[in-house]
Order: sequence, then structure tokens, then C-alpha cells
Amino acid sequence: MRITVDWDLCQGHGVCMDEAPEVFAVEARTGGYPRVVLLQEEPSQDLRRQVEQAVKHCPTRALRIVGE
Amino acid sequence: MSTAAPALRRRPPPRVSGDLPGDGHMAEFAADPISFFTRARAECGELAEFDLRGQITVLLTGPDAHEAFCRAPDEQLDQGAAYEFMTPIFGTGVIFDAPLPIRNQQLAIQTMALRHHNMRSYARVISEEVRRFTDAWGDSGEIELVSAMTELTLYTSTHCLLGGEFRETMSAEFAHLYHDLEAGLHALAYVDPHADHPLFRQRDAARVRLEAMIGEIVERRRAADTEYEDALATFMKATYENGSRLSANEITGLIVATMFAGHHTSSGTAAWVLLELLRHAQFLVPVVRELEDLLGPAADMTRESLREMPRLEAVVRETLRLHPPLNMLARQVLQDFDFKDYQIEAGKRVCLCPYVSHRIPEVYPEPERFDPARPEQDSVFTDISFGGGRHRCAGSAFALLQLKSIFGTLLRRFTFELVASPETYVDDTRAITLRPHTPALVRYRRKG
Repeated sequence: MRITVDWDLCQGHGVCMDEAPEVFAVEARTGGYPRVVLLQEEPSQDLRRQVEQAVKHCPTRALRIVGE
Repeated sequence: MSTAAPALRRRPPPRVSGDLPGDGHMAEFAADPISFFTRARAECGELAEFDLRGQITVLLTGPDAHEAFCRAPDEQLDQGAAYEFMTPIFGTGVIFDAPLPIRNQQLAIQTMALRHHNMRSYARVISEEVRRFTDAWGDSGEIELVSAMTELTLYTSTHCLLGGEFRETMSAEFAHLYHDLEAGLHALAYVDPHADHPLFRQRDAARVRLEAMIGEIVERRRAADTEYEDALATFMKATYENGSRLSANEITGLIVATMFAGHHTSSGTAAWVLLELLRHAQFLVPVVRELEDLLGPAADMTRESLREMPRLEAVVRETLRLHPPLNMLARQVLQDFDFKDYQIEAGKRVCLCPYVSHRIPEVYPEPERFDPARPEQDSVFTDISFGGGRHRCAGSAFALLQLKSIFGTLLRRFTFELVASPETYVDDTRAITLRPHTPALVRYRRKG
């Protein structure tokens, strides 16, 4: 599976980071909102459930899983 | 043979009929903005240009229009000028009155205060406030739902944002000051918030006094050096990129902005959720069952326990579709804005109206029918109950948590019924934020 981020939507709430800290981190950004950083763009299948929770609970629905 | 595509000749948006010399469409807009916007879309379609005493604004309705609006960069569509009328309430140099780089830092700090990690304790706090609030209800009676929810969310917001201590010592003065600030929102403010008007003078006095009050609390906290976990603590601890802290004015401004953003929006929605459940018993019964299953007698009202409530969430979503709290989301056009074969020139404004957009029959068949089972839309920009894009409501997670917490407690402790006929509960579109027309009376009885 591959994770995509809609950068126009991410506000750095950090739900993803709470759900799957191996995959998502939130970092401060100069002059703007904090934003997610993908620690792994294509995480392994054993992280699938956590990644799905991150995608589901993102308040701005900025995340998507693409493919298997 | 190759042909270059012909240069696209963009046209200005169609103009709504009925503008009067000088006033433009102001009279009709001020009298009933929703009816006006409904007529505007019916007459003009996706883009509808209107005139508010010389300020030309274009209403954009429909998923494509929403997406274009939400994705536009701040340098092109700016919140600043569009929300200038809030400056006397929030404070000078705060949020919309701050230059963009500062504004974005302030908004980031506000988002930090509302972020996920801080949600942990809120659910329990809110449930306790609901329990406390309804303890005074006795075993049965009748309440006016809007004022009840307005009072309850004032307590929950204050407790979550400013801490339990402030909530306990919250003087009548704070509530009065806050009320005076709100009263400064008047259609006239959209055109000239500094006009000489008694409501505006009262608003300004309230802002000065509120800053003094909050300044005192900040001083006391810094001197005592105690650890707090509320939004105020976040605002006090936060720094700008240059390392400086927020001033008392800026802290006050962020607190006011956060409370404003989440008060009547939440209370109006809470009132409508209950009313819609009461006039659609077929949806109420499964929701109550869901809550009773999920939250047994020894319910742990933490964030975790409230996460999965699909039936209630679907009801909330559908309620927000039909009764979105904000009538108008506006931006100043700083750079020419192209949409389909139209161009909206710099100097104009653009706005969205969730109420009208959420009733487009091609998008929501039988739009007036309350149906929580409606399929979710493909695009995240179709439903704009919380706006969209990078300025989407930063408090949406808090709002949903609060609603689940409120109803998780209310619907397990009480049964409710409507006092008046179901069809008599209608939107008041002229209040600060859209809510049921008052009095919105319901009867309650405490469950055995």
C-alpha cells in the first residue's frame, strides 16, 4: 500500500501520528501550519490496520491509501 | 496540422437581479441572507454576483466551486479583508488583522490547542458538565432547547479551553462581556465595524475589560508556575518563530476567537440534532440503542469510548447538512480568480453558502428529506459544514467529540419529546449562527 497526502487539506492535527507513529510524524513549518511527514510512503502490511485508522480519523480527510 | 487552442475568453459572473442604486442588494441580504442566496443561485447558477453597498461579491455554489475556493492559495483568496469586521472583537493584530505570516502562526497555535492529543481529557469533562447541568433538571419538565444548549456549551468550552478553575470562578461578568462582544455582530459590521453605534461602543468596552481579566489570569498563572493542560496553557507557552511569546492582547484574541468559533456553532447544532432525532423516531431508536450498547452504566467517557458511534455520527452529519451553522464563508480576491470560463477580478469577494449548496438536488436528491443513510460523497469538498481546505474548521474534531459526549449522556439519562408540532421547528437564519427558531421547546423525563 502507498499513502498519499492532500497537502491543501493537512492542518497538522496529528491524529495520524497518534494512530501510527511508525508511519506519520507532524512537524512545525516556517510561516505555516504544522504538517504531516510520511516516515514511510509504502509501509508494510502489518501496519495496515493502524494506517487505515489514521486515514479514517484524519479530521480533514487529507490521507488516502492507494493500492494493496 | 497543429492548431493552438484559442485563447479562452473569460467572462464575468452573471449578476443577480434587483440591485438598488447605492444600496445594491444590501437590503435583501440583511433581511434574510439565506433566501437571498437561494434566489441568487436559482437565477444565476454556480456563480452569482451581487453588490453590498459597493462591495461586489460572487456566491459560489456546488462541489466544483467549493474545491476551487478551498484549494486557492491565501495569496489569491484572502480571509483577512473578508473578516475585517471581526477585528474589534478579536483584537487588533490578531488573526485576520495580522499579516499573513503572523496570522498563519497564530492559527497554527490555535490548531495546536485543539489538536488530537488534547482531546483525551475533554470527553470526560464534557460528560461531567452535562451531568451537572442536567442534575438541576429534576425528574421531568420542559426546556427551551437553544438557551439550554447555549449555556451548556459555554460551560463545556470554558472548561476545556480555560480550565476547571476558571470555569468554577467564572463570574457573571465573563458571560456578560462575551455577550457584549457577540452583540457587536450586526449586518452593519460587515460594511463598517467602526461606525458610531451603541452596540459597537459596548463591544469595544467589553474587549478592553476582557483583556484585563485574562491578563490577570495569565499573570497569576505565570507567578504560580503551575502546569495546566487547557488551551490557555497552550497559548501562554507558544512562541512565534522569532521566539517571542504571545501578548495579553493576542492571547485574549485567540481565546475569544476559539470560543466564538465553537460556541453557537456547537449549541445550534446540538439543538438541531435533538430536534431532528425527535421528529424522526425511526432514527432515534437505533441511536439510543447504539449509545446504550457502547456506553454501559459504568461508561468510560474518554475519547476512546466515543470514537466509534456510526449511527449518531451519521445523524450529526445529516443534521449539519441541513442546518450548517455558518451562512457565509468569504474571501477577498487578491489575484484574479478563474473558475471554468469565468473570471472573478481582484478587488471583488467570493463566498460559499453551505445552506444553499447542501440543497442542490443534483448532489443531494430530495434535499429537504432528513436521511442519515445518504451515501457519503466522493469529494471531501461537497459537504462544507466545516468549510474545507487549509482553513477548514480546526475545531471539527472537538465539535464532534462534544456532540457525542453530550448525547451519550443526555439520551441515556432522559427521554425527550417535542412540545410543538414537528414542522413548527424551523431555522432562524438571522441569528449569529444558524439555529432553531426560539422558543424551541422540548419535554423531558428522567429514565428510571
